[in-house]
This record gives sequence, C-alpha cells and structure tokens, in this order.
Amino acid sequence: MYEKSVTITAKHGIHTRPAALLVKEAKTFDCDVLVECNGKQASAKSLFKLQTLGLYHGVTVRVFAEGDQAQEAVEKVSTLLITLS
Amino acid sequence: MSITGIIVSSGIAFGKALHLSHSENHLDYRPIPLSRIPQQQSKFLKALQALKHQLSLSLAKLEPESENYQLIEADLLLLEDDELIAQVKEAIRTLQLSASVAVERIFAHQANELESLDDPYLANRAQDVRCLGQRIVTAINGRLEQGLAHLSEPTILLAQDLTPAEFALLPKAQISGIVLKTGGLTSHTAILARAAGIPAILSCQFDAELIPNGTPLVLDALSGELFVNPQPEQQARLTVTLHHEQARRLALQAYRDVPAKTRDGHQIGLMANVGNLNEITHVQDEGADGIGLFRTEFMLMHTSTLPDEKAQYNLYCEALHALGGKTFTIRTLDIGADKEMPCLCQEVEDNPALGMRGVRYTLAHPELFKTQLRAILRAANHGPIRLMFPMVNQVEELDRIFALIAECQDALEDEEKGYGELSYGIVVETPAAVMNLASMLPMLDFVSIGTNDLTQYAMAADRTNPQLTRDYPSLSPAILALIKMTIMQAKSAGVTVSLCGELASSPQLVPLLIGMGLDELSVNLNSLLEVKAAICQGELAKFSALAHSATQQNRISDLQQCITNYK
Repeated sequence: MYEKSVTITAKHGIHTRPAALLVKEAKTFDCDVLVECNGKQASAKSLFKLQTLGLYHGVTVRVFAEGDQAQEAVEKVSTLLITLS
Repeated sequence: MSITGIIVSSGIAFGKALHLSHSENHLDYRPIPLSRIPQQQSKFLKALQALKHQLSLSLAKLEPESENYQLIEADLLLLEDDELIAQVKEAIRTLQLSASVAVERIFAHQANELESLDDPYLANRAQDVRCLGQRIVTAINGRLEQGLAHLSEPTILLAQDLTPAEFALLPKAQISGIVLKTGGLTSHTAILARAAGIPAILSCQFDAELIPNGTPLVLDALSGELFVNPQPEQQARLTVTLHHEQARRLALQAYRDVPAKTRDGHQIGLMANVGNLNEITHVQDEGADGIGLFRTEFMLMHTSTLPDEKAQYNLYCEALHALGGKTFTIRTLDIGADKEMPCLCQEVEDNPALGMRGVRYTLAHPELFKTQLRAILRAANHGPIRLMFPMVNQVEELDRIFALIAECQDALEDEEKGYGELSYGIVVETPAAVMNLASMLPMLDFVSIGTNDLTQYAMAADRTNPQLTRDYPSLSPAILALIKMTIMQAKSAGVTVSLCGELASSPQLVPLLIGMGLDELSVNLNSLLEVKAAICQGELAKFSALAHSATQQNRISDLQQCITNYK
C-alpha cells in the first residue's frame, strides 16, 4: 500500500467543480484511490461520496491506494488536492 | 392583474406564459414484489442513460470554460458514479423500493449529509443534489422535459424552481423572461439569467391555474411586477420604458468598473443596500465597493421559523464569499414599526414606530439577539464584517450591546469556536442619536445616517402616511442641519460617516451629500450606476460650494431650487 497525507490549501475547500476534476483524474487509474478525512473515507472515483467528506480549507487528508500504479495514483490525487482551488 | 417578486435580473420582457413543471412526480411508496426488483433496477439504469444523453447534448452547446459547463459536467459524473448506482440498486433490492422512491431516498440522504457539513459553500450544494435527484425521478417516469425545443414566439417561463442545469437546456433566443416561485439557494440561476440578459424575478407567488400556458404576459423586472393579460395602455407604457431603459443602461455601463471618484480626484466609498443573498451576488456586477446596509430582518419575513445560529452563520459566510473581501456591513435585526414578523410573537402597540423596534426589541429578547451576534462573530472569522445597530439613541444602549457581545465572545471561547474582530457602528436615525453622538463616537468605528427614519422622527411625521410625505420630505433644512451636525462630529472624532437612506439613491442629490463631507454613500442596487455617474462627472470643489449654499436655505422650496440650479 502506498499513502500520503496532505493539507487542503484552497481558500474555499474542494467543492463541486474541483472535486469533479479530481474524480476525472482518479478514474484514469486502474487501482482504487481512497481519500480519508474527518474520520470518513471515500473513493476518489466517486464524486457522490467525495462531496460528503467535508474537504475544507485547512483539513488534513490521507490518500492511499493499493495495486498497479498505486504510487502514481496517490501522487497525482494528492497533488491535485493541494493545487486545485 | 399583477403579481410581485424579487428582481434578480432587471429589464422588461414581453411573452406568452409557459409553465415548466418537473416536480409533480407521483411516487408509490408501497414495497414492490421481490420479482420486480431486477425490472426496477434496470428502469433506474435506463433513466440514467437517458438523462446522460440529454445532458451531453446540452454540454456540446456550451463553452468548456463556462461555469455552466462545469456544473453540468459534475452532474454527469454523478450520473455515472459507481457508489451512487450501487446505493440505489441496493435500496431497491433490500428495502423493496420502486426505482423512484429509492432515488428520492438516497438523494435526500445525500443532501442532508451535505447540509450538515460545517461549510456553507458545500452545504449549499445540497439543493443542486436534490434537483438532480428530481430529474432522475422524472426520467424514470419516462417524462424527459420536452416541448421547450419547439417554441416559436417569445416566452416567459413560469416555474417552481430552475436549476443551472435546466437553465442550460433552455432555448435562450425564445425565452424572454423567467418567473420563479422559490428564491434563496438558486443564486446560480440568477447569475446565469443576468449573464444571459434575461429579465427574471424570484419569490413570485403566482397561481398557476390562473395563468394557463399561452396567456399574454409582461414582466416588469424594474419594479418587480408580472402583468397577466396586460391592457393595451400598460403594454404601450412598458414598451416605451423598455426602449428608454435599454439606451440608458447601455450608457451607464461605462461606469461599472471605474472607482467612484470625482474629476478632481476625491474618492467616495459607494456601497449597496441589500436585503437578501441574491442581491449580494448582484453587488459585484453593478460595480459597488461593497455593502453599506444588509437588512437582516428580511431573512425572517417570509418564514415561520427563526433561522438558527448555523443557518445565519452559513448565510453570512456565503455573503462574505460572494463579496470576496469587499466591505460587508450588517445591520442587526430591525424588527418592529412597519415590519411584522410572522415567526415572532410581537405585542400590539399603540405607536409601533415609537415602540419596541431596532435594538429596543433585540435587547429585550437577548436570546434572539445573541443568536445573531454569535453567528456574525463566527462569520467574521472568514472575512471582514462591519456591524451596525438600528435605533440607538444613547450610550446606555451601546453599553448593553457591548456587554452582550463580550458575553458571546466568552461563550465562543469556552466552546473553542473561532470568531473574528468586528468594526462597530450605529444607524443615526433619531434626533437624540445626533445630540448624543459625542458620547458614543469613542466606542464606534463608523456611523451611517438613516435619513428615512431620521426625517420621520425629526418631523414627527409618520413615513407611511401619504398626507404628510409632500410637506415633510427628507430634503429639508432641518434634516440637512442634522446631517451636517452628524458629519462634523464624526469627522472630528475620526469616525467614518456614511448615509444609507433613500436620499443617497437620488442622483440629483449626490453632489449636495458629498459636498457636505460624507465618506460613503449606500444606495439601492438599481440606482448605483447612476449615482456613480453623478460622482464621476462632478468636482468636489463644486459639490462643496453647492453644499455651502444649500445648507443656508431656510425654505424647502429654495433648497429644491438650489439643487435644480446646480450644474
């Protein structure tokens, strides 16, 4: 398993539109990428679940994956979590 | 017949009525037989496919960078979301629900979860989620919205609500106006209607049965009225207004993005008076420096329950977000006098205007007041807020208000909830406030003169009595004297002085008011550009000369003449 923790810096958090971009990227990988925050967990491929996590400014998020391309997928998703706004 | 509503996109529109209805989905809540589970599941999947196809078509017509495009794209992602599909199929199987009921339940649960988040921006998306659920239910029932594609004449759309995604599907060339029953959360649609230049009003309580499809309508989104079966003279009058309005608006647009600065370089803070969130989103479009008066009591007027701290906090945060750092001035609840609240038990008074109103009411109901103060203090953690209190007459009232604020701050600290610093001000609206100003100014960062009530209280003339308005106007030597006293005292104490009454919204009076030394004006949104034009076209030296001669007039008629002669 590969994992990484990042802090959301986007002023208004990761709301619908940036979350949609994140989901589109996550879907390009074969392995599932999981995002954990505020004690809740969601697949980065599911906008439906991702929205309920509360990815606001300043929260710390754990991103993890297992299997093919796990490292690459985790790196990509965590980079997006930091850079999207 | 005419019906009123809240203007979100101004203009005048002529057209035939067309009702857009998608909410009459009849749901059957009885459990389905086990044998029909696979059939209901495939019905759900087929509905998703149909809706996806429909949304893809509308996506193809949009610019990829537009906000609309991205919102529809997010809807599309939800329609192919594995988690969502699994949850609905699971609900159909284990709870034996029909496809429609399962969708309704899963989406309602999701919307509730979003609403419970401690983030106003995300929580507001709950409404979008509910709308998408409704659309899936409609698609399951085999009724994709149709009939709009074949419009051949200008049409005014009437609906309960309209989502940004639905807006995208509209044939804009044929839709001349939009009238919605709901207001509030759908501010995206309001922005889109403005961007498309389609006049629109919200919170319009029309009776659909009295306006069948095809009824001739005129939407006057300058006064906020919808005319049903307009008379020929009404039609003619509004046609003329439409042409004038088009020409005038076009010319004023030149002032949108320039500062409110006189030709000799004197800059004025030009703010807007607003009463709801929709107007706050309008503030940026109209080129205001921020909000000089947010009337919070309007959030209570159409509701039967009082918004709790969290709901108020979310509202203030969303306003801060929309303003992006521009000035945000909140006036605490101004209940009483002519503003009745269905959600509050108010005692009947012989003289409500001289009774329990403004801070008199809120100080007598500290739980109500503290809820608002706490919500504002917490919201101030996310952006700058100026807070002002209505109907303050004397320093004792300020003492009591600041004691309550300190109490709220202590409680928030104990609860480890973040709060921010506020700037404080009062609305100067009684002669006593002007007389007592010197004792209050050391406790204040700004004052805002409310000329409507100041006139009523200085003249002892009921502002709702039409027999009195002509003889006791705000533009009078007495009121100018009170304004002048306020400005001089505030200036020498180094306190910002603003004026938020109707006087400021009249472009002819702007030179006089600025000449008297006001730092800021706060005006109605629809007069903002006109006021800005009056500022930008003049010079402070001339404004001051006008103020000097105007304040020396002894008669209302001479004063008016003085204003008319100015140029």
